[in-house]
Amino acid sequence: MAPRRLDSPLSVVPWAAALLLVLSVERALALPESFYTCQIGAGRLRSHWRGHNIHVRIVFSKMRSFPGQDLVQKFSGALFWRLVPRGRNASSSKPDIKICIQCPGSVQNLSEVALYCKQTPELMLHARCCLNWKGTILGLDLQNCSLKDPGPYFPQAHTAIIIDLQANPLQGDLANTFHGFTQLQTLILPQDVSCPGGINAWDTVTFYINNQTCQEQRKLCNSTGDSEMCPENGSCAPGGPGLLQCVCAEGFHGYKCMRQGSFSLLMFFGILGSTTLSISILLWGTQRRKAKAS
Amino acid sequence: MAWPSIFQRGTLLSQFSHHHVVVFLLTFFSYSLLHASRKTFSNVKVSISKQWTPSAFNTSIELPVEIWSSNHLFPNAEEATLFLGTLDTIFLFSYAVGLFISGIIGDRLNLRWVLSFGMCSSALVVFVFGTLTEWLHFYNKGLYCSLWIVNGLLQSTGWPCVVAVMGSWFGKAGRGVVFGLWSACASVGNILGACLASSVLQYGYEYAFLVTAAVQFAGGIIIFFGLLVSPEEIGLPGIEAEENFEEDSHRPLISGAENEDEAEPNYSIQEDKTITQVKAISFYQACCLPGVIAYSLAYACLKLVNYSFFFWLPFYLSNNFGWKEAEADRLSIWYDVGGIIGGTLQGFISDVLQKRAPVLALSLLLAIGSLVGYSRSPNDKSINALLMAVTGFFIGGPSNMISSAISADLGRQELIQGSSEALATVTGIVDGTGSIGAAVGQYLVSLIQDSLGWMWVFYFFILMTSCTILFISPLIVREMCYLMQRRQTRILSG
Repeated sequence: MAPRRLDSPLSVVPWAAALLLVLSVERALALPESFYTCQIGAGRLRSHWRGHNIHVRIVFSKMRSFPGQDLVQKFSGALFWRLVPRGRNASSSKPDIKICIQCPGSVQNLSEVALYCKQTPELMLHARCCLNWKGTILGLDLQNCSLKDPGPYFPQAHTAIIIDLQANPLQGDLANTFHGFTQLQTLILPQDVSCPGGINAWDTVTFYINNQTCQEQRKLCNSTGDSEMCPENGSCAPGGPGLLQCVCAEGFHGYKCMRQGSFSLLMFFGILGSTTLSISILLWGTQRRKAKAS
Repeated sequence: MAWPSIFQRGTLLSQFSHHHVVVFLLTFFSYSLLHASRKTFSNVKVSISKQWTPSAFNTSIELPVEIWSSNHLFPNAEEATLFLGTLDTIFLFSYAVGLFISGIIGDRLNLRWVLSFGMCSSALVVFVFGTLTEWLHFYNKGLYCSLWIVNGLLQSTGWPCVVAVMGSWFGKAGRGVVFGLWSACASVGNILGACLASSVLQYGYEYAFLVTAAVQFAGGIIIFFGLLVSPEEIGLPGIEAEENFEEDSHRPLISGAENEDEAEPNYSIQEDKTITQVKAISFYQACCLPGVIAYSLAYACLKLVNYSFFFWLPFYLSNNFGWKEAEADRLSIWYDVGGIIGGTLQGFISDVLQKRAPVLALSLLLAIGSLVGYSRSPNDKSINALLMAVTGFFIGGPSNMISSAISADLGRQELIQGSSEALATVTGIVDGTGSIGAAVGQYLVSLIQDSLGWMWVFYFFILMTSCTILFISPLIVREMCYLMQRRQTRILSG
């Protein structure tokens, strides 16, 4: 989840980022295009950026006359990007994640998950998942899997940004299913299932003929004063769609967030040991040296 | 006024070597450290009970289990507090039992080894209790109880040993004032423990235990390498050799086995080997020494009152006057201050008189008055603090004197002089009986306060103080007679 303190200066960030994007695109265009690709990073900040992408669109529309505009559009939605040589982005390791293989088949070719995954060269498709180079699930396409519920392995996908569950006979309330899915930005559901956490938990809920999409989790912590909502040293943090949780406030850690800082064992025992040694030697010399053995 | 010979020869300080100073400081701080680790436990109780319980916070927000409620050793803070109180009682009882045992052991083995072993091993137990269980996340009530029993037994080696060492270095003449000053070690330990604990508590309660345990362990090592248990160890004359035997009036009180040994010339400096070979007296013999039973019973009553003040005063203040807990904690220091001054001053007076019981009796009579006064204290912090100091002066003072100076007197009295090592055993008996009284008292005070109210607690204190006077009354009568007699002879001869 994103650190809260990034919230306040955020309104400035999109403008700065847009400027950066323009400058960098110009730079990128000056370089031989075939040798470079653009890497999207800073996943933690992604959600903040997404919340303000209207600013970006203004920039893009101004840039429409620029040559190579498709290149720019390809990276829309990214806050930070840099140029990396082509070929470095592919990771060969494909971890065996059960949620990705519990339903046969792979990500549907034209699905949102596939689109999302192909937008970013760093990401790769693996069975029903879209993984980053670390093997973290960023996208999950479980459409048409005949699921009545997402199953026991579903929490493995708690890092996902996009999840597609359409065309499944899902039943019951999904609120607790998405417990801990703090990164989730796009959720595609069958039409008869309501968005987890209710309509208020999402910025946009769109109904289509075959499905509905829940987009952009709302940040509920800011809307309510979180000082009294959590126990001592705790602070409010998003816990998934429509869910809040109390985590340790900044600087606190451990059970019930009672601990602060870390104790320097080395320094303590260093000082204590040397003091003990010197006092012992001093006293032995002045006191016990002449003592008769007893 | 009859000044003891030691004052006539010169100032008290001039006859002390650097060995005396080092012994004073080493024993002072070794007991301070033992007391500091006890204080640490009472100061981190809030943190421990938080650690042992799930969060009781009521909120609509989800509280992740691993952060807020993974520990279910106790369902709520009240039960954890109850268990911590039980640990206190367990500790006091095992400490009391341990005092009887370790006094006997201390007299038979080398005092330095026993003290050093007691400090280091009790430090290890505290480390396991507070730090290791937390690091391993192993919380178990049975383990905590058994560790605290062992800790009580090991901690009890401290007091008899340090009093015995002090008793063999400081002669009876200056003992009252020296021991009065020295018995501030418990209060200093409390302050030390509170400071150590509060300075590292933010890193977690386990570090409070770690720091006090480590410092105590270091103290044990220093004791092992630096403490001289008696002047004889480095060939200095023992204090008995210097003391004059003008108080031999009731020498043949016990006849029999002990008297045979008295003929042995143990205290010539050349014959060092005989000193290490002196036979320690048995527990039964130690109990039969004149004054031991009387003072033990008296101390049981007095320590009850004294420890009740120690444990319950902050609670009483915040409960009765509605003062903040931290403020009540700070105010209650005045009781300790009164106790230190009282112990020293009364010790000095008793040195001058050469008799301790009359001083005790007078102080205890005034203590009853001060208890009555304190129970009617107005809701004013400075007046209350003053009354508290006065109460501490008259209750803490005699209490300190019995546990240190008088214990040393009893263990060094002429009857067993030269025949045996009895100091630690006698100290163990006196303090052990006292600790049983204190342990029972903790329970009784909570019971009385709960059912009858604070006023009855004070009546109970007054009753206990009167019992103390009752128990030492035979000694008072005897010593008063002696003082009268001495005065008459002085008048007659003068």
